[in-house]
Amino acid sequence: MTHPEWAAGVCAGLHAAGSRHVVYVPDNPLSHVLRILGERHRDVRTTIATREEEAFGIAAGLYLGGARPAVMLQSSGLGNSLNALTSLLLPYRIPALIVISMRGDAGEWNEAQVPMGRAVRGICDAIGIPHTTAESPATTAETVRLVAQTAFGTRTAGACLLPRRLTVPAPASVRA
Amino acid sequence: MTRLEATHRVAQALAPHGDVPIVASLGHPAYDLYAAGDRAANFYTWGSMGLASSVGLGLAMARPDLRVFVLDGDGSLLMNLGSLATIGWTRPPNLVVIVWDNQEYGTTGGQQTATAHGADLETAARAMGVAATATVRSLVALDAAIARALAEDGPWVIVAKVSESAPSVKPPLDCVAIKQRFMAAIGQPEAGTIGGSQ
Repeated sequence: MTHPEWAAGVCAGLHAAGSRHVVYVPDNPLSHVLRILGERHRDVRTTIATREEEAFGIAAGLYLGGARPAVMLQSSGLGNSLNALTSLLLPYRIPALIVISMRGDAGEWNEAQVPMGRAVRGICDAIGIPHTTAESPATTAETVRLVAQTAFGTRTAGACLLPRRLTVPAPASVRA
Repeated sequence: MTRLEATHRVAQALAPHGDVPIVASLGHPAYDLYAAGDRAANFYTWGSMGLASSVGLGLAMARPDLRVFVLDGDGSLLMNLGSLATIGWTRPPNLVVIVWDNQEYGTTGGQQTATAHGADLETAARAMGVAATATVRSLVALDAAIARALAEDGPWVIVAKVSESAPSVKPPLDCVAIKQRFMAAIGQPEAGTIGGSQ
């Protein structure tokens, strides 16, 4: 199976930024990232959490122990994460690279995903989590690396958003 | 036994072992840990109810060379029961979770928790794959459980049935200072800060 370029980019970017621990709640597009980590980056330990809030708690402990944790989640899980972010990671200035697979943006088919998808950037702005959207497959690695560099350098959790136009393949009829 | 008496026993048991990290759940568990003796390797949480065991799990994964102790509460663990499943799956041998089970939300006025009505957190831990567990109801039994948890591989979940102890002191409120002091104490000064590497 070929690897989507954007997913390989997420892996390369977080690896280049020094992340060797990824804590996540799974999501369909993120399954590509996880498979590539398993094949190309065997030094990255992946841990599934039962809930996104738990993932951020584990990430905080990893950071206290000297690691540079990455947390991967679907945008729907941002709501589940808010107390961990606002009462642990932000006040203690515990950084993490946050990789958010977007739902509810252009291309969404499930109405239940739309309200949170629309709110992701506003929520991040409101609580003080900087966010950057990966714009193309070719630039995803560098975007992820830069978001991580800023997060760990400034000790503030930062998010890289992966829009559906990036993560969901277009049908053959509209491909160049 | 009161939670403060039990917390004193934890502090005494760990004192000969140097800077053993202790992660305390917010509110009364953290207040009692401070009252039992402030030390740099105490990580006091001021929020994030439910996540103390998760923080301990992450720390135990990053630092397998350390025994990591967590002082959780029954109400807090009930908020994050999934943590037991993750601990039971990942099985860090160096993680010791002590749950102060007073069967109430002590920090918020003493409302009953589900453990007052049959919920059994030791059984929950075992059901999630945590093999090393105990429920203790006396200081002597707590001492014995801690001694085993120091000597034998975990992860451990020790449920300590305690009564409220009405804390009268609180740890410092500076979250960043708590973090930086803690990280330095466990030999991992925070990168990019005074005392840490660049």
